[in-house]
Amino acid sequence: MHSDSFDPATERQAVDPDAPQSPSRREFLETTGATVAASTVASFATPAMAQPTDAAAPRTTISVSVNGVRHEIEVEDRWTLAELLRDGIGLTGTKIGCDRGECGACTVLMNGAPVYSCGQLAVWADGAEVRTVEGLARNGELSPLQQAFVVNNAPQCGFCTPGQLMSATALLEATPSPTADQARAALVGNLCRCSNYNAIVEAVVAAGGGGVA
Amino acid sequence: MRALINLDANSISDAVQAAAQVRAEGRIAAFSGGGTDLLQQIKDGTDPADVIVNLRTVNEAREIEEGAGGISIGGLATLTRVMENAAVRARLPALAQAAESVGTPQIRNVATVAGNMTQRPWCWYYRNGFNCFKAGGEECFSVNGENGQHAIFGGGPSFIVHPSDIAPVLVAFEAIFQLAGPDGEREVPAAEFFVLPRVDPVNENVLDESELLARIVVPSPPENTVSSYYKVMDRAAWTHAEIGVATVIRRDGNAVTDARVVLSGVAPIPWRLRAVEEFLAGKPITAEVAREAGEISIEGAQPLAKNRHKLPMTSAAVERSVFGLAAG
Amino acid sequence: MTQPTRIGLEPLQTIGNDTPRIDAAERVTGAAQYTRDVKLPGMVYARVLRSPHPHARVVSIDVSAAMALPGVLDVITNETSPIVWGAGSISGGRQYNDPIKQATIHRRYIFNNPVRCVGDSVAAVAATDRNIAEAALELIEVEYEELPFVLEPEQALADDAPRIWPEGNLCPDTRNNFAPMTSRIGDVEAGFAEADEIFEQRYETGFVHNAQMEPRCALATWEGDKLTLYTPSQGISNCRHDSARDLGLQDHQVRIVSQYMGGGFGNKNQNQDADLIAAELSRRVGRPVMLEYSRREDWLGVHGRWPTVQEYRVGVKDDGTVTAMQMRGYSGMGPYRKNSGGISGMDYYACPNRLREIYPVYTNRTTSGNFRAPSDPHGVYGVESIMDDIAYRMGIDPVEFALKNMRRPTEEARFTNYSLEQVITTGAEQFDWQARRRLRPGSDQGPLKRGAGFSFMMFRAGLGTSSAVVRVDSQGRYTLYVGVTDIGPGAKTTMGMIAAEALGVPLAQVEVIWGDTDRTPYSVGESGSRTTIMTGYAVVQAAEHLKRQIADRGMPGGADVLIGTATPAPTTDGLIRQCFAAHFVEVEVDTRLGTTRVLKYTAVHESGRIINPTTARDQIRGAAIQGIGQALHEDLLYDQRNGQPLSPGYYRGRHLTHQDIPDIDVTFIEVDDGYGPFGAKTAGESGIILAPAAVANAVANAAGKRMRSLPITRDKLLGELA
Repeated sequence: MHSDSFDPATERQAVDPDAPQSPSRREFLETTGATVAASTVASFATPAMAQPTDAAAPRTTISVSVNGVRHEIEVEDRWTLAELLRDGIGLTGTKIGCDRGECGACTVLMNGAPVYSCGQLAVWADGAEVRTVEGLARNGELSPLQQAFVVNNAPQCGFCTPGQLMSATALLEATPSPTADQARAALVGNLCRCSNYNAIVEAVVAAGGGGVA
Repeated sequence: MRALINLDANSISDAVQAAAQVRAEGRIAAFSGGGTDLLQQIKDGTDPADVIVNLRTVNEAREIEEGAGGISIGGLATLTRVMENAAVRARLPALAQAAESVGTPQIRNVATVAGNMTQRPWCWYYRNGFNCFKAGGEECFSVNGENGQHAIFGGGPSFIVHPSDIAPVLVAFEAIFQLAGPDGEREVPAAEFFVLPRVDPVNENVLDESELLARIVVPSPPENTVSSYYKVMDRAAWTHAEIGVATVIRRDGNAVTDARVVLSGVAPIPWRLRAVEEFLAGKPITAEVAREAGEISIEGAQPLAKNRHKLPMTSAAVERSVFGLAAG
Repeated sequence: MTQPTRIGLEPLQTIGNDTPRIDAAERVTGAAQYTRDVKLPGMVYARVLRSPHPHARVVSIDVSAAMALPGVLDVITNETSPIVWGAGSISGGRQYNDPIKQATIHRRYIFNNPVRCVGDSVAAVAATDRNIAEAALELIEVEYEELPFVLEPEQALADDAPRIWPEGNLCPDTRNNFAPMTSRIGDVEAGFAEADEIFEQRYETGFVHNAQMEPRCALATWEGDKLTLYTPSQGISNCRHDSARDLGLQDHQVRIVSQYMGGGFGNKNQNQDADLIAAELSRRVGRPVMLEYSRREDWLGVHGRWPTVQEYRVGVKDDGTVTAMQMRGYSGMGPYRKNSGGISGMDYYACPNRLREIYPVYTNRTTSGNFRAPSDPHGVYGVESIMDDIAYRMGIDPVEFALKNMRRPTEEARFTNYSLEQVITTGAEQFDWQARRRLRPGSDQGPLKRGAGFSFMMFRAGLGTSSAVVRVDSQGRYTLYVGVTDIGPGAKTTMGMIAAEALGVPLAQVEVIWGDTDRTPYSVGESGSRTTIMTGYAVVQAAEHLKRQIADRGMPGGADVLIGTATPAPTTDGLIRQCFAAHFVEVEVDTRLGTTRVLKYTAVHESGRIINPTTARDQIRGAAIQGIGQALHEDLLYDQRNGQPLSPGYYRGRHLTHQDIPDIDVTFIEVDDGYGPFGAKTAGESGIILAPAAVANAVANAAGKRMRSLPITRDKLLGELA
C-alpha cells in the first residue's frame, strides 16, 4: 500500500523520528505480534490517568480535532472513537450504552454529521473534526439548545442526553427552526429508556424558537 | 475487542490488492466503508476479520453522477448522499426512499451503498453466534426453530432474508453492478449479483473475498416511469424491513406498460415477483387491480411454522405499493 | 413546554412551581459523572465469564492459560471466592434483610455451580486493560456437564421436569415452604354460585428487560479494611448494608458512592453481584477494579420483569355486579428468586369473594426481578382484559362497569382520601371517551380500525422511615444531607424544594448533598416510589427540628452551625393511603399489516400534592411510554430446543424510538390529605401500571379481537384476525 496524505504514518513521522514509514503497516502483517514503534506520543491532552494498554496490540498515531483542540495521539487500531474520547482524551460526557450502534448514547459529530462513536474506529477519525457534548457550551454559557433541555426537563437519568444533544445540534445547524416531526426524525437514532421523548422533542422545538411541540 | 490491524487504502485497486495480500498471508481481511455493522460483528465474534481495509481514505467511488447512460453511484457513496441527491430524488424516487428508510441518521451518515448491499444477514441465530450455514456450518437453525422473521420465498437450505432496502430497488431498476478485484473489473446485472442459498449457502452474493462493489449504474428510466419503496417495520424506524416493496412502473396514462416489483425481507435475495409484473402489464392501476396484484404476490410462497403472518402482510404491502403509484 | 393540567391546589412558595433540576447544567454538559466515568490511579479492569449453557454443572475450570496472559492480574471462580450474593436470591422474594438471608436456602453465589441459565456467572478476570481482560476470558477452560433444562413455568412444575434446585422448581416462601402465594377473601365458590354468568380466560405476558441506558458496572477500591464502591444504585444505604453483610464487613467499612446513574427502573435496587465481584478482585489485586458489563451481559446477567401466565375466572350477575374473582398465576423467575413474582390488579375491585394463587417458578431463563411497579402492569393487563370483555359482552360501558365494581372506602377500610372516581370521570371527559370508543368492538370499516380502551388503578402511598439532616451556617446557607441517588426522577431537586419550603427560604439558598453513604444519613432508597414521601417527610421533620433551634437560639454566628436531624416513623393513623389513576388510549390497528399505532393517550393521576410539576409530568409520560413498549414490543425470545436467548438488546427488543410514541396528556388532580410531605404521594411507578391494559383494551375495541398475550406483535394480531 502506498503512503499518501491519508496515511497516519506521515503524521507519526512528525512526532516520532524513529517511526517506520508507512510500508511498516504491510511489514507489520508479516511480523505478527511485533509492535510498530516505541511509544513517544505527543499529546496536548494526556489525561491525568493514561489508559493502561495492551503493549502487544497494533497502534497508529492519529491527528484528530476534538472540540477545536487538535490531538496527536497514538491509539490502538482496535480502539473505537468512543474509547478514544472517553479514555484517551478524558472526555467522558460521551456515553457507551450498548457499544453496538443500537442505542445512540455515544453519538458525536464527525465533520459535522452525527455518528455512533462506538461504531467508528479511532483510527478512522484521523484528520477529522469531532465535536462532543463538552464542546457545546461556550465560555461557560450553555448553548440555546442546552438551555432548552434544562427548561424543558429533557434529561431524566441523563445517560442518553449527550447523544440526544449532538443529534439535535446537527439538526439545528441545518434546520434552525425544526418542527416536532423534523426533530423526531433527526433524533430517531437516540433511544431514551426513561422514555422522556415528549420533553426532548419539546426542548428541541423550543430551542429553534418554536412553540409547544 | 480483539486486536486487529487497520490498513488505510488509497484507492479501490489499492484496497483489493491489500485484501488479496492479507489473505495470502493467512489473515482475514474485511473491507470497511461505514464500519458500523462490521465492528458490531467483530465485537460479537461473528466476523473473524483481523485486518480491516479502511475505505474512508479512498477518494474515488463516492460520486453520484447523471450521464447519458444513466445515474452512476459510487459504491462508497453514503446513504445520506444517496437520499439527498437531486438526480436520485427526481429520477429514482424509490432509491431515495429506500436509502432514507435505512437505520438512523447516524448510520446513514457513514453507511455506504456497497456496505448496505453486502451486509450480512440479521438472522438471530447467525448474529447470536450459532454455527449455521452463514457462519460456515451445516445447519439452518430457523427451520425447526424460531422462524418468525425468516424467508417465505426462496429458502433452503438457509432461510435468512436479505436485509438490504436499496437492493430490491436496484434490482427493480435493472442496475448494473461494477465489481473491482485484484485481477480487474467485471460487470454483473443487479439480479445476478445476489445468489440463493441453494447455490451458495454461505455467501449472499457473487463477490469474491477480495472483490469490492465499486459502482452501480442505473440506466435512465424511460419517460413516465414512477417508483416507490414501501417498507413495513415492527417499529417506526431503526430496523430492517419485515416486508419492503420496490415498485417501478412505466405508465401510459394510468395504464401499466411495464412493471418491476421486487421484495426485501421475505427471501434470501431481493425477490422479484414476475407473476405480479406480468399481471400488471397492460392494466390500469385501480384498487381492484392492486388488490389482485397483492393476492398474486404470495403465490408460490412457502411459509415456515411461525412466519405465516408474512403472507397477508406481503399481499397488503404489494397492494398498497402498487396502488400508491396510480396516476392522479 | 406542554404543562400538565392541574386541578385542586394552588402552588406553595416553592413546592408546586415548575422548577428546573438543580443539577440540570451537569446533565447537559457532560459534566455529570457516572460510575464508568470515574478513573482512579492504578485502576484496572474486570470482565466476567458467563455460561453458554442454560443448565450445566461446572466439572472443572483451568485458569492457567488466562493467568499467563501478560497484563492479567487475577482470575476468580466459585472455588477461590465462594461469596453469597444475598440479594440475588431471596426466599419469599421480599426485600432482602438479615433474617431473610438466614432463611434463604437457595443461595446465589457471585459464581454459581451448577450454572442455571445462559449468562450465569462462572469466573471473573482482572487485567490492566479491558481488552486483555476480555482476551483472558477466552483462555479460561471450563469443562461443563450439560444438564436438562426447562424454560416455561408450567412445564417446570411438572413432576418429571428437570430440577433446577433439589426441592423442585416452585420457589420457597420466607419460611421455606414450597407453596403458592395465596390470597383468599370471602368465599369464592359461594360467589360463583351467586353469579348469573361465569367468564374464564387465560393471558400471558412476556419478559420485559429494564433496559436502562447505563449498563451495570462497579468500581471498587480499598483503603486498609475500608471498601469504597462507586456503583449505580437505587438505594445507597441498602447497597451498603447488603454489600457489607455479603462480604463479612461492618456497615461503616463500606462506602457507597452513587450520584448520577443512567436509570434502573428497579434493577439497581440493593447491591449487585458486580459490586461484590469488583470488591473481591480489588481486595485480591490491591488496586482499584472497574467492572463493566456489556449490554448483552446486562440483558442476560441482571434482570427484567417476570413473564407470567394468568388464568382468570370471574362471576357476574346480570346487573353487572362482580360476585367472584379467581386467578391462578405462574411467574417465571429464572433460576433465582430475586423478587416476589407478584401479579396484582384484582385488589382494585370491591368483589367480596376473591381467590388468588400465584406460583413463582424457577426456570432456566435469565433471572426475573423488579421492574417499575414490579407486580402490577402485567396483572392489571390480565384483570382489565377480562373485565373489559365482560363489560362489552354484557353491553355495559367499561367505565360504568369499573365505577360499579371498583373498590371504595368502607367503614372498616377507610382511606386518607379517595379519588378513584374523580380520576376516572375526569379522564373520560378529557379524552372524550364516549366519542372515541366503539360501542361494537371492531365495527370500523376498512383495514384501519380505531378504538379506545381504559384502565384504572390505585397504588400504595403509605409512609415509612427515612432520615435527613439539614444544617445552617452563620451566612444563612442551608445544606441538606440526604442519602438519595438521582436515578432520573429528580430526587435531588425534589428534596431541595421540600427543604426550601419547610425552611421558608428560596431553593437557591439550599445546597443538597446526596449519593454518598459517608456524607449522608440513611435513606430508604429509590425503589417502591418511596423517596419523595418517606425521605421527603424526613426532610420536613429535619427542617422543623432546625427551625425550632433557630427559634430558641437565633441564627448561628461565627463558625457555629445549627443542625436539624430527623428519622421519623410516620403513620397514616390506620387509614389506607393510595395514589389513584386512570389512563385512556386510542389506537389505530392496521388489520392487514398487524400494526398498532397509539393516537391519543390521556393519563389522569391523583398523587397528592405535586412537588415539581415538570418532573412529575415526565415520570408519568415516560412510564406510560415504557408501558406501551411492554404492550406492543418487548419480550425475550428463547429457542426451546437449546435454551438460548435470541433477542437480547435494543435492536431485537424493538424498543420505542422518538417516532413511535404519541404525546401523552397528563392531568394531576392535587389533594393534600394531611399526610406525607405537604401531602405528596407516590408517583414514579404508578405511570407504568395502566398502559399495557389500556392499550390492549383499545386494540380489542378497534380490532374486535381480544389479544391474550403480550406483547401484541403483528404475528399474534394477524393470527387472531386470520
